[in-house]
Amino acid sequence: MVGGESSTTGDGNKSQFAIRNSQFARWRQVCSCRQRAAGSGKPDLFLPAAGGPLLLTLAAMPEDPIVAVEGIAVRRPGALILRDVSLQVLPGEAVGLFGANGSGKTTLLRVLATLTRPSSGGGTVLGAPLGTDAVERVRPRIALVAHDPALVANLTLGENLRLLALLAGRRVDDAARALEAVGLSGASGRRAAVCSNGMRRRAEFARVMLAEPDLLLLDEAHVGLDPAAGDLVARIVESVTGRGGGVVLVSHERERVGSLIDRSLTLADGRITEPGR
Amino acid sequence: MTVWRQAAFLLGFQLRDELRTGEVIAVVIPFGSIALLVIPMAVGIETTLLASIGPGMYWAVVLLFGVVVTQRRTATSNPSHRDALVLLGVDPAARFAATAAASALLLLLFEIGVGLVMIVLYDPVVAGWGWLALVLPLVAAGLAMLGTIAGSVTDGGGALAPLLVAPLAIPILLGAAQATEGLRLGTGILRWILVLALVDVVLALAGVLTARVLEESSR
Amino acid sequence: MKRPIEIAAAGTMLTALVAGLAVPPDAVQGDVQRIMYVHVPSAWLAYLAFGVTLIASVAHLRTRDLRWDRRAGASAEIGVVFTGLALATGMLWGKPVWGVWWTWDARLVLTAAMFFVYLAYLALRRATDDPVIRGKRSAVFGIVAALQIPVVHFSVVWWRSLHQPPTILRPGEPQIDPPLLFALLMAVTAFTVLYAALLRRRVELAEAEDALLTTARIEEPVAGSAVVGPLSRGEGA
Repeated sequence: MVGGESSTTGDGNKSQFAIRNSQFARWRQVCSCRQRAAGSGKPDLFLPAAGGPLLLTLAAMPEDPIVAVEGIAVRRPGALILRDVSLQVLPGEAVGLFGANGSGKTTLLRVLATLTRPSSGGGTVLGAPLGTDAVERVRPRIALVAHDPALVANLTLGENLRLLALLAGRRVDDAARALEAVGLSGASGRRAAVCSNGMRRRAEFARVMLAEPDLLLLDEAHVGLDPAAGDLVARIVESVTGRGGGVVLVSHERERVGSLIDRSLTLADGRITEPGR
Repeated sequence: MTVWRQAAFLLGFQLRDELRTGEVIAVVIPFGSIALLVIPMAVGIETTLLASIGPGMYWAVVLLFGVVVTQRRTATSNPSHRDALVLLGVDPAARFAATAAASALLLLLFEIGVGLVMIVLYDPVVAGWGWLALVLPLVAAGLAMLGTIAGSVTDGGGALAPLLVAPLAIPILLGAAQATEGLRLGTGILRWILVLALVDVVLALAGVLTARVLEESSR
Repeated sequence: MKRPIEIAAAGTMLTALVAGLAVPPDAVQGDVQRIMYVHVPSAWLAYLAFGVTLIASVAHLRTRDLRWDRRAGASAEIGVVFTGLALATGMLWGKPVWGVWWTWDARLVLTAAMFFVYLAYLALRRATDDPVIRGKRSAVFGIVAALQIPVVHFSVVWWRSLHQPPTILRPGEPQIDPPLLFALLMAVTAFTVLYAALLRRRVELAEAEDALLTTARIEEPVAGSAVVGPLSRGEGA
């Protein structure tokens, strides 16, 4: 875990105080990273406007959980995918989700993204009750990086990002900035169909930067990324959590993501079976 | 952002996508043209016969092959892209409007291309060019909206979409064919124009009002 | 176990059969005209069934209650059967009267088109396993499909077809003698009761089918339990 102290109650879960404490420590680290980044002249879409405050105060931290779901079950005809999943993600927290192939990790991410309605169970995502029309309010604050990139094959990377920027209410220039931030400004004119998997995955992170989400859901984020781009994942996770958002990160690479997350959960037999660390 | 602006952005990028693919111009128009070419091989090449059946065959080709235009690759976005649009808060009605508008413009192109081929091969008597300039877009709009709805309910699935479209498009076919025949004979065609317009209005309302439901059903 | 509606259906069908055979034949067409007592009610049922599909589809979209979707699907199935029966009996009637099995007049063609539309509707339902997704997609298509029904009816007037003008629903006096009209109305009533009985049974079957797919079983294994570790080197054949 990045910095901070931890203490646990008798049942193995962190106390709220301990989580707040570790989150404040993370903030301090993120803020110092930002100061270094600002000094280096590299663009960072998560930086506040020039002249704005770099240090966030604990009082500005949002109180309500980013995700608080309970008893989630997802059933398809003839197949039970998730049986009884309960999960909470607090503001500023990054949670790792692990599990075997076919254990339902992607399905759970889609439920948290409000893209899949659970068959039963409930809870809230960014304060909106799951399975209701209220989730439409909060969807623009959610970003999902799925297995397949959300790119139109015959449009260039630049065109794809410009379309998404326009639909997100951003300026067209922000698309170019986002591509530059992920190291793809030189490939902006290349069609997505001819880009490598790694390039398309980087473009996905550019899309995330445009969205500036409060809940970031990453499905196998490191697949196809070279080591330099792997650092990009860390920066994005820190940016989201540093602003008080939450991250759920699905991966098979515990070693690679261990430094990014506060907690790890395992999905097995349709349930979360290892809460805490 | 208004639904219209969202639809306009999506329409622009869809047309750009189709321009790069070139599926309608390079594949579907030739496909429709070949159909018009082989029909006389089956029914006979007598000039008066072809002149009388030409317009009808044209509308039949527009109906049956126009469905292919509405089910082209660029009309169905990949699931991840669709999810991204949902999360961005893009109104499902905007997505329907953009896809239908793109299909309508491409269908109009298809109608004009195949229409020229029909005039050359069948040499029919064509009257009322002004009214035809109204009939063609009305037909294109109706087929486009039908095809977009069919594509949404089948999730871009194979032969099912054409099966859904073809029988429902018969009122459009009849309206177009009767209007064309009426122009040739000099009889009134207003009722057929109204039929086409009514079908378009109904499909537009149906598409917009059910867009959200269909979007939910695709996830 | 037979329900009252099914007993009523059997009773009214029997009564209609007797009435259809007992009334005098048509003065011009002779006994072949008696096909009308099957053809016309079949066509009426086709419209009724598809109207119910429309209403149930709208209700499903408003309430998201799958019971309405099952009613819509069951009604469409029955509608397809009776549309097919209407077309077949129409051909059997048309051959001796018009000399051809099929005439390309507007109403016959559009009735055939309606038949294909609802075949497509049923194909769409079969293509989707998930009852929730199937319900939404079918409801949308069912509503769009049902909107062409007025066009089928008024096409007779507009296109001056060869097909017999609608004798009951045309404005003005019906052109059918009272005894024949009585037998026809008996047949229409019997077919309607039969439709209600068939609909009820088919909806029950649909409920059982959906329950089989969606009801959780005690300690049912999750789908992921089918995935196990791959064979290690040296294991297997």
